[in-house]
Amino acid sequence: MDVSMFRTAAVAGFAAAVAAILLHFVVSKPKFDDVFGKDRPLRILDPLRLVIFFITLLFVEQKWSLIGALRKLVFLLAILCFLILVVTGFVPRVVFGTVISSWWLMIHATAAPVFAGCVAVLAVLWADRNRLDKNYWPLLNRMLKRQPQSTAAPEKHELKLRICFWVVLTMSLPVILSAVVSMFPLFGTHGQDVLLQIHRYCTLLLSLFAIIYLYLAALIEMNRTAAK
Amino acid sequence: MAAGVEIKLGDTPDGSRSNFVHLISLLSEPLPGKEPDQIHPDADPVLPFSTKATCGACHSYDKISAGWHFNAIDPNVKPGRKGQPWIFADPTSATQIPLSYRQWPGTFRPEQIGLTPMAFLESFGRQMPGGGIGEMVDKSDNPEETLRSDVTGKLEINCLACHDGSAGMDMGGASGYSILVIRGNYRWAATASCEFAYVTRSIGKLPNEYDFRAPYVSADSKVKPPVVEYRKGAFGHNDGVNFDIRREGPKQRCYFCHSNVDVRDGKTEKWFADEDVHLAAGLTCVDCHRNGLEHDIIRGYAVESRDSNNPLTTISSCEGCHLGKNGDKPVAGRFAAPTPKHAGVPPTHFEKLSCTACHSGPWPANETINTKTARAHALGIAGANKSGEVLPHLLYPVFAKGQDGKIGVFKLLWPAYWATMADGNIMPLAMETVKSATSRAITKTAFSKTGSWPDLKEEDIARILTLLGEKVDAGAKVVYVTGGKLYSLDEGGKLVSADNKMAEPYMWPIAHDIRPAAQSLGVRNCQDCHTTNSPFLFGSVSADSPLKNLAGREMVAFQDLPRFYTKAFAFSFVFRPWLKVVAILSSLVILGVLVLYALKALGFAAKVVVGDEQ
Repeated sequence: MDVSMFRTAAVAGFAAAVAAILLHFVVSKPKFDDVFGKDRPLRILDPLRLVIFFITLLFVEQKWSLIGALRKLVFLLAILCFLILVVTGFVPRVVFGTVISSWWLMIHATAAPVFAGCVAVLAVLWADRNRLDKNYWPLLNRMLKRQPQSTAAPEKHELKLRICFWVVLTMSLPVILSAVVSMFPLFGTHGQDVLLQIHRYCTLLLSLFAIIYLYLAALIEMNRTAAK
Repeated sequence: MAAGVEIKLGDTPDGSRSNFVHLISLLSEPLPGKEPDQIHPDADPVLPFSTKATCGACHSYDKISAGWHFNAIDPNVKPGRKGQPWIFADPTSATQIPLSYRQWPGTFRPEQIGLTPMAFLESFGRQMPGGGIGEMVDKSDNPEETLRSDVTGKLEINCLACHDGSAGMDMGGASGYSILVIRGNYRWAATASCEFAYVTRSIGKLPNEYDFRAPYVSADSKVKPPVVEYRKGAFGHNDGVNFDIRREGPKQRCYFCHSNVDVRDGKTEKWFADEDVHLAAGLTCVDCHRNGLEHDIIRGYAVESRDSNNPLTTISSCEGCHLGKNGDKPVAGRFAAPTPKHAGVPPTHFEKLSCTACHSGPWPANETINTKTARAHALGIAGANKSGEVLPHLLYPVFAKGQDGKIGVFKLLWPAYWATMADGNIMPLAMETVKSATSRAITKTAFSKTGSWPDLKEEDIARILTLLGEKVDAGAKVVYVTGGKLYSLDEGGKLVSADNKMAEPYMWPIAHDIRPAAQSLGVRNCQDCHTTNSPFLFGSVSADSPLKNLAGREMVAFQDLPRFYTKAFAFSFVFRPWLKVVAILSSLVILGVLVLYALKALGFAAKVVVGDEQ
């Protein structure tokens, strides 16, 4: 498959994701009162405050238990590895138009198993709370003429968040396997090429959904904070 | 066809794959403006035959003369990928310098060290098929040489060198082609190589007035002209002879100039090494290295189509036969070439490595080994120095980045020569000048019986530089290049050394011998190359020089790779198994979660379908 096609797809994908997030962000009119205070004029360090604010939103709620601490640690580590992998994986190909090699490859290959491990742990710890139970399918409920078990309304965007979770989880399988299988003498040159393409395109999908997931997670957390 | 271009009888084949019988008349070199005469075995004197006249009667000699083996002196011919140069090696002057009439970076033109066409032929004509510079002896800048060329004749293209299929063909024997060329008997050389001819004596002391067509008697009984004897019975009907001509030359013909042998424990035992896997499979050299009448023979590198007009270059490289990617139609599998799977080899290897890197030459070792080649060491010629230490010293396998930007396997020569340096330019000195100084400075006891470097010390170098300084123009600085360094005298007369681009080794890529796929690099695992002490990356290329204890270099220095990164990357392969384990276990866990929740979803869907989901 043409390498420039992947380049185009990656650029278009990231641009569309960022544009969609920005558009959604503007349309959803989030409240920044907690960050900047009410009716306060903008200050020079406000953009930095905003960034830090968003990062803090990704610090999932701390539960005072070993599992809680582990979950938080693993989630943050996964985000860090994800960022490293995206940068080292996409920058050489998309920005410089070269194959990933040298230090880029070293860092990529170092972060990759950590990310894989984190995803596996998060899959176990978060799968249940991300179940798409019947509360999230009002249309389906209406069609089936049945009432949801819980009357509590789900958080806004939570359905999208959970869908993103499952897409990321599903995509992580071909991403990991395509890389690790290529390290065994199983596939020839054509097979290696196919594995590489699978790795690239699945990674692109995973990355886009992961970005949307992080955005939605931050947004939900911000709304939750504002509601308190 | 352009007007005036003659098409001869043998120029256009009729397509038959059978061998054409060459029962033909032998023709002698004609007088200027005359037709060549037929040679009769009972004539006096018996003349040597001229290939230009004999073979040229039916094949366009001028077209053939433009072929790769003969066109080095044509400045309009693209030099193409760097190849093996002619190496002038002289232990008495501690010199080994790469020469070529082609414009290969790192080589010098023979005239730069004072080699006239005849001097060049004396050194290297032994393993040249004639033509080219061999036919330029009458155009030498040296008037003595021009005059002498009437006696020596020209070294015409020796068609038999490649196309003679007879067992008795004599290229390197004591009275064969090479010896006659070394002795300046160019006119008789091709005849001497012919299996039914025998040439004795030499033109050595003959005066310039000697006419090879006339009987010659000298007052000095020791001065006798070359004598040609044709085997009785070789001449048949109408005094025609039968040449065993093969359109596709047998491999032994190629081997005469293109043999290689590794030096192991100082010996050059050829039975120790296997033949190229292609030859072992039944191919011949010319199956891949093909040409038509123009003799524009395929050299066989991947991007040769940029340099050659031969239409088969694109499909005659490694990729051409084994992958078949270079043609506009499927060509893979030519000569039953297997299509490689390269299972588990990341595709980036094919962007960074040439095919030869993994498949050619000996398996890499911690140290390079010395190798000898036919053209560099006169292999196959009577009287050749059989020592494994004789100059020039060629090292291999060196894994280096080539002109195509890919890492391949190379042979390497550390140039050693005396030169002048002015404005940063280095010009080698004429050998005559050099020898006048080295003969005074190097004592005979310093010479090796094996033909290796003389035993020189830094003070010897300093003395020779001082002596040479007296012979060159004022303002020119005399230097000695050896072992990758440039030596000169500072203002105080002390010997100093420095790095210099001109001291860099000359390397040329090799392809043969190809190892079987089962012996290719990486066939066992990645660690064939990716370890912190792998010879492929960190093997040592020793610095070869008459001076002892010069530091060599690691392979990685020739590959344009940063050493620290390369070491770190190689070290990372220690953790590669862990990476695989973590990745596989993670995948299994993720798969388990996905399957579990997919089954839960399925269970829910099933309940919904039967109306039992509450």
